[in-house]
Amino acid sequence: MISIKHLEFRYPRGGFRLRLAALDIAERERVAVVGASGSGKTTLLELIAGIRRPGAGVIEVAGQDLAVLTDRQRRGFRVRRVGLIFQAFELLDYLNVRDNIMLPYRISPDLEATDATAPRLEQMTRDMGIIERLERFPHELSQGERQRVAICRALITAPDLILADEPTGNLDPDNKQRVLKLLLDQVERHAATLVMVTHDHDLLAPFDRVLDMRALHGVTNP
Amino acid sequence: MPGHRTRIRNCGRIALLAALLAACQPGEDAEPTASAVARRLPVVFTVSYPLAWMADRIGGEAIEVVFPAPDDVDPAHWQPTPETILNYQGADLVLLNGAGYAAWVQFAALSPGKLVDTSRGLSARLIPAGEATHSHGPGGAHDHRNVASHTWLDPIFAAAQAKAIASALEVHVPNAPAGLERLQADLAHLDARLAAVFRGWSDAGVLYSHPVYQYLDARYGLAGWSVSWEPDEHPSDAEWQRLAERLRNQRASVMLWEGEPSPATTAKLRELGITPVVFETGAWTPAQGDYLTLMQQNIERLTEARIDGGNEHHP
Amino acid sequence: MTDILYLAWRYLLFNRWKTAVLITAITVTMFLPLALELVLERSTERLRARAAATPLLLGAPGSPLELVLSSLYFNGEVPATLSYGTVQAIGDTGLATAIPLQIGSRVGGKPVVGTSPDYFSFRELTVARGRPIALPGEALLGAAAARTLEVSPGESVVTESETVFDVTGSYPLKLHVVGVLNANGTPDDEAVFVDVRTAWIIDGIGHGHEDLSRPEAAANVLQRDGENIVANAAVIQYREITSTNLRDFHFHGDISDFPLDAIIAVPADDKSGVLLEGRYQAPTTSVQAIRPVVVMDELLATVFTVRQYVLAAVGLVGVATFATIALVFVLSARLRRGEIDTMKRIGAAPGRIGAMLGAEIALVLATSVVFAGTLTWFATLWGESLLHWMLSAGA
Repeated sequence: MISIKHLEFRYPRGGFRLRLAALDIAERERVAVVGASGSGKTTLLELIAGIRRPGAGVIEVAGQDLAVLTDRQRRGFRVRRVGLIFQAFELLDYLNVRDNIMLPYRISPDLEATDATAPRLEQMTRDMGIIERLERFPHELSQGERQRVAICRALITAPDLILADEPTGNLDPDNKQRVLKLLLDQVERHAATLVMVTHDHDLLAPFDRVLDMRALHGVTNP
Repeated sequence: MPGHRTRIRNCGRIALLAALLAACQPGEDAEPTASAVARRLPVVFTVSYPLAWMADRIGGEAIEVVFPAPDDVDPAHWQPTPETILNYQGADLVLLNGAGYAAWVQFAALSPGKLVDTSRGLSARLIPAGEATHSHGPGGAHDHRNVASHTWLDPIFAAAQAKAIASALEVHVPNAPAGLERLQADLAHLDARLAAVFRGWSDAGVLYSHPVYQYLDARYGLAGWSVSWEPDEHPSDAEWQRLAERLRNQRASVMLWEGEPSPATTAKLRELGITPVVFETGAWTPAQGDYLTLMQQNIERLTEARIDGGNEHHP
Repeated sequence: MTDILYLAWRYLLFNRWKTAVLITAITVTMFLPLALELVLERSTERLRARAAATPLLLGAPGSPLELVLSSLYFNGEVPATLSYGTVQAIGDTGLATAIPLQIGSRVGGKPVVGTSPDYFSFRELTVARGRPIALPGEALLGAAAARTLEVSPGESVVTESETVFDVTGSYPLKLHVVGVLNANGTPDDEAVFVDVRTAWIIDGIGHGHEDLSRPEAAANVLQRDGENIVANAAVIQYREITSTNLRDFHFHGDISDFPLDAIIAVPADDKSGVLLEGRYQAPTTSVQAIRPVVVMDELLATVFTVRQYVLAAVGLVGVATFATIALVFVLSARLRRGEIDTMKRIGAAPGRIGAMLGAEIALVLATSVVFAGTLTWFATLWGESLLHWMLSAGA
């Protein structure tokens, strides 16, 4: 699913540098990425998602070399093929749950809701236990519910790849396990590949593989 | 009946027209007005028959003259209906007699620019008719001074009024006053004839049934005196008593009446040595003839009475 | 497009208080100069039209503006009066038709205007219901006055008492409404017209009472000296003029000495107008002749100057308001950086995000424009009475 070779990235004004000789992640593989703060976990996710472009090297996602795509094409690729989940949920406070989940369809010209979208939304929210909350606004929800909404938003487009950046970071221990389970269930159900950044070692058990950033040899922190 | 319009066009036709209008058929009533509108003749309203007669003589076919007072009301004390006043408002000119005649004019809503006081400028020749003041409250004394109002009975005064009418008409109908000269000649002639009839009457003693003959009296030096008797009412005993008392100091051999007195009154007057004579003022539209015809009849009656009176007082 | 508008709409709806404040601020900023301009434009047009339709106005020497405001717009009072004899004098010149104006009392706040029948033909006023005035005590109402006073022909209205300090002894007079005029969009609509004699009777100059020589009045007669009768003040003053007591009304003194607030002179032609104006321009005359349009143009020039200043001030406030509003949008966009960033990460096109922010501003502006337009429309409906009030307060 993901193939990275000779990756080099540095922030234009920072001393931060990320180097990665090679990384391959198989289809439907569930990978956890761990590492200290500032070790480049989030940067790696952003590179895979095509949000950032590497200084050198090749990133292929689902057989597509991201480097050859234009900005526009990369946005289109991302919105169709990649689902993103953030630590702070990043829901829009002025949209209700339904509109938040459907947001990708509203903000991208490359997506068009189909006949399958509505049943998919219903199925997913039922699975996630938030179907009763569809007309509520984010400020009316609990933290756990918010993250479940964010997961639904990431999955509504039926992406091949889910990139989750510490999705349980803001949750209490009970919720952590529950939300992670729900996420894994959905990934399983949709036959997607999952790359999840976390620094919570209690959560690593269900993953196929754990990548330690330090072990990837590429990160230099001055 | 009130408010109907009488169009005076030709002196000879007045009687016929009056008779027609007396029948008060609205259709006939409306006809002359409609024709006037069609021809857009200047419309002149008046407050007395003599004014209407003079205006018609002066303006002739160039104007339409309307004197709308009903025949059974003295125009001097007439109160027109609001509808009639609105007709007056629609006129191009409203001829007033002045001298307090037709007091209703003072309280009618009429545009000042249309009003022509034919006695204006003749105030020196107006004759006072008693004074009355009253006061009440803080306003001080009010002055209700009156002047005699039947000015036209002096043909020379009437001629001056005719001149005022002519000048007012001139504004509306540039060559209208064509009839003025002939009218003034007729009035002068009337004056001469009246003067001839009344010559020497001041000695005979003239009594008036009503104080309306002041201008006639003054013009011909009659030095008459007056009671306030109505032709259609038989005077009360008290009134006869007062007359008898006054006759001790004032002479009277002829009594001028606005209308025919009752036979009883006539008989009683004759007992007192007084000959009643009808002298119509012409204030309202005559049943037949015109103002001159009317005056001619007055002169004839006077001449007749004078013969009688002359026999009695100047044997 | 629908998606963008939907998101913008949801944002504005969610932040409804902020949106309301923004719309209010923009509405007021647009409405004020717009309404001021329109109302002034319209009312000055009408004010001027009325003045221009009145060729020549005569009054006692004094402020020409007060004379015009009082006689043309029935606003305020003239400081001094001229005599009714002037009407006759103008008539005698043959140069113009003279229309008397005596504006005294009020009926339910509406001015009672005493005049002659010529006024109605001059102003091209026609009777909608009933008939014109024929007699004293009758009133012909302007359309708006009839509506406000809720009276129809056949009913009556009563004039308001003058001040308690009025020493002329005027009494409220019951006026019989004989007709209602068609509206013509001028101050005539608001007036209660009477014959000039009625105005004098209201002013206590003419009055009616029992005939004091009649026996019924004996109780009030204090002294009878020949024909001179002195009565006490309890003599019944008629509060109403009827067909039966009309004859008992009378005026004390010479009618040509009676007061008039003003005379409208309608010259026969231009030359007559100039001649008549000249006649009353000698510094010694007790009458001034003015051309209302000249007076109004002077006033309107002042109004125009003031308007320029006010508009400049309002313009500055507008600039400040819009700068503040721009700041609000910029700050809001900055506050929403996280949200915008999230959308970008998910895959939003930057154009769409920009369009969404733009749609929010557009929606706010459009709503404000609609509100300001509606308010301005209402202002033009009622603005003129406001302006009249402003003018009279300033005069």
